[in-house]
Amino acid sequence: MQSSNRRMGIMTDVHRRFLQLMMTHGVLEEWEVKRLQRHCYKVHDSTATVDKLEDFINNINSVLESLYIEIKKGVTEDDGRPIYALVNLATTPISKMASDFAENELDLFRKALELIIDSETGFASSTNILNLVDQLKGKKMRKKEAEQVLQKFVQNKWLIERWPPVSILQKEGEFTLHGRAILEMEQYIRETRPDAAKTCNICHSLLIQGQSCETCGIRMHLPCVAKYFQSNSEPRCPHCNDYWPHEIPEVFDPEQEREPGVSRPNKKSLRSRQH
Amino acid sequence: MVPLPPRPTRPLRKAPRGSNAHFLSRSPRRERRLEELLDAEALPLSEGAEMSEQSKDGCDPNFALEASSSEVHSSPEVPGGPPLPAPEAATLAEPESPPLGPTDAPLASPPPPAPMEEGDPKALQQAAEEDRAHQAPSAAQPGPAPPAPAQLVQKAHELMWYVLVKDQKRMIIWFPDMVKDVIGSYKKWCRSILRRTSLILARVFGLHLRLTSLHTMEFSLVKALEPEELDRVALSNRMPMTGLLLMILSLIYVKGRGARESAVWNVLRILGLRPWKKHSTFGDVRKLITEEFVQQNYLKYQRVPHVEPPEYEFFWGSRASREITKMQIMEFLARVFKKDPQAWPSRYREALEEARALREADPTAHCPRSSVSED
Repeated sequence: MQSSNRRMGIMTDVHRRFLQLMMTHGVLEEWEVKRLQRHCYKVHDSTATVDKLEDFINNINSVLESLYIEIKKGVTEDDGRPIYALVNLATTPISKMASDFAENELDLFRKALELIIDSETGFASSTNILNLVDQLKGKKMRKKEAEQVLQKFVQNKWLIERWPPVSILQKEGEFTLHGRAILEMEQYIRETRPDAAKTCNICHSLLIQGQSCETCGIRMHLPCVAKYFQSNSEPRCPHCNDYWPHEIPEVFDPEQEREPGVSRPNKKSLRSRQH
Repeated sequence: MVPLPPRPTRPLRKAPRGSNAHFLSRSPRRERRLEELLDAEALPLSEGAEMSEQSKDGCDPNFALEASSSEVHSSPEVPGGPPLPAPEAATLAEPESPPLGPTDAPLASPPPPAPMEEGDPKALQQAAEEDRAHQAPSAAQPGPAPPAPAQLVQKAHELMWYVLVKDQKRMIIWFPDMVKDVIGSYKKWCRSILRRTSLILARVFGLHLRLTSLHTMEFSLVKALEPEELDRVALSNRMPMTGLLLMILSLIYVKGRGARESAVWNVLRILGLRPWKKHSTFGDVRKLITEEFVQQNYLKYQRVPHVEPPEYEFFWGSRASREITKMQIMEFLARVFKKDPQAWPSRYREALEEARALREADPTAHCPRSSVSED
C-alpha cells in the first residue's frame, strides 16, 4: 500500500462521514457538532472511545491542510455560541455563494457587506441597503425583490436580521453578518478592507459588532467582554483604564443551553451590578 | 513511487463509417472499453511528480483536448460500429475496488470536448472529421508544455470544492460546467485533474464522483459510506425541506401512482402550508415543490392527460428513486403516523422486495441502517 499519507493524519470512516455531514450542513453549533461526532462513531465504530472534539477536528484539519480547506471554529458575535464550518481558504468566499445567487444578488450582498463593515455598529439598515439597489450590476432589481433577496441571505445564513430595540422611528430591520459569513469571509475582509475592518482588542480577530470604549475607541466582541470582565465588579478598559460603560453580557454556558437556538431568558435582562 | 503502467497505444482514428448519429448517442461498447481502461490503470496518490506524468498522458493527442472550440478530438475508445464522430464525455466509472481501499480506485477520463456545450451536432461532426485529418500530423508534435504540477494540484482542489458545494446545494454537477467554471484553460489535463479530485474525494470524504449519465454528462457524488442519509436529515436545517419532500414522496408511494396536486395540498394543509401563503421556512411552497424539487429531479410534475380544466400530478423523480429507498419511506411513515410500517402491508412488502434486490445487487453493502440514531 502506498504510504503517501506522510503529511496527513489518519482518516477513518468515522472522520469521512463526519466531513460529509459537516459539508452538508454548512455551519453547525458546537452541540450539534458533538452530536454529529457521536453519531459518526456510532455508525462506524461503536466500540471506540469518542475522541475529544478538539483533537478530533485537529486530526481532520491536518488532513485537510494540503487541500486548503479547514474546519474552522468561531464564536457568534452576539451571544458567544461556538460554531463550526468547513471553509475553503483558497477561494474568495463570494464565489462560494456564486452558485446560489444571481449576479445582481451577489452584488447586493457585496454592497450590504460594505455598509456593514463601514458602519459604527456593525449593522446596516434595511433602508440603506435598499437605496443602493439602483447601483447593482446585472439585471435591474426592484426594492421589493431586494427585500426578498435579503431574506434569502438570512435563510442561507449569510446575514442576520434584527430589529433594533431603540425607537419607534425605526420600523425596519437591520442586517449584520452571520457567524458563518464571518468565518468564511474574515480573511477576505481583512485583505480587501484592511483600513475599515475592525479588530477585537482581546482576541484580535475580525470584529463586526461589539462594544467600544468611549474614551479610547478600542473594541471588543461581546463574548470577549463577557469573558474578560467575568466576575469583575469594576470593569475597566484594558487600554485606557477608563470605566467600561456598557452592560457586561453573560459568558456563554453550554450546560445551560437546553433548548438550542432559543435565546436564554436572562440574556437580555439587565444584570445587576454588585459594587 | 510506483511507475505508471505502460499506456496502451491507440491506433489513430480513421474516419468513422456513417457519421450521422447524434453526438450524444450512447455506446455500450465504448463504455465497456472505458471500464477496461479504468481497471487497467492503478492510481497511486502522491504529489507533484505523479501529476506531471499524468499530464503527459493528458497531452497525448489521443486524449488531449484542444482549447479551440472548433476542434474536437475523437476518442480512441469509439468503436467503429456505432458511429460516434464526437469524442466521448469524460467518464469516471464507479471504481470496482472497495471505496476506501488503499489501492485507489482506478479512474481515468478521456477529456470531453468543450464544444459539447455548444450542442450543435452537425458542427461537431464536421469539426471532428476535419480534426481527424489533423490527427496524424499532430501526433508527432508534443503539444504545449504541461503546467507545473502544483497548478494541476490546485485545480484539482478547486474542482473538489466545486463539486462538494454543488452537491451540498443539490445542484446537478454537469461536466461542461466543471470545465467552464473550474478547469478552464487546463482542459487538456482535465483527465488528471478529475482523477486527482476523485481520489481526494474518496480518500478524504469517502465520496465517489461518479458519472451518472454519460448521455447528459452529469456527475453525482455518491456516498461510498453506508448507511444512507437519513442521518443527514436528522440534523438541522435541511430537515424541513427533506421532511416536506419525504411527505410528498410517501404520499405518491402509498397511492401507488401519481398524486394529484389537490391531494398533495390536502396533505400539506395539515402542516399548515397553503399554495398562496408564504411560509417562514419554505417560502413559496408551491414554487418549491413544482419547480425546485422538479429541477433537482426529486419530483416530476406533469399534466394529467385528458382532464379539463387542467390538473397536474406528482411522481417520483429519477433522483428520488436513486437516493431514497422504499424502506426509508416506510420508516418515515412509521415515524410520522406512529404506526408500524407493516400497517401498510402491500407497500411494506414492496419495500422489502426492493431492499432484498438492492442487497443482492451489491452484496458488499450492509443492510441500510433503519432509523437514525436517537439523539
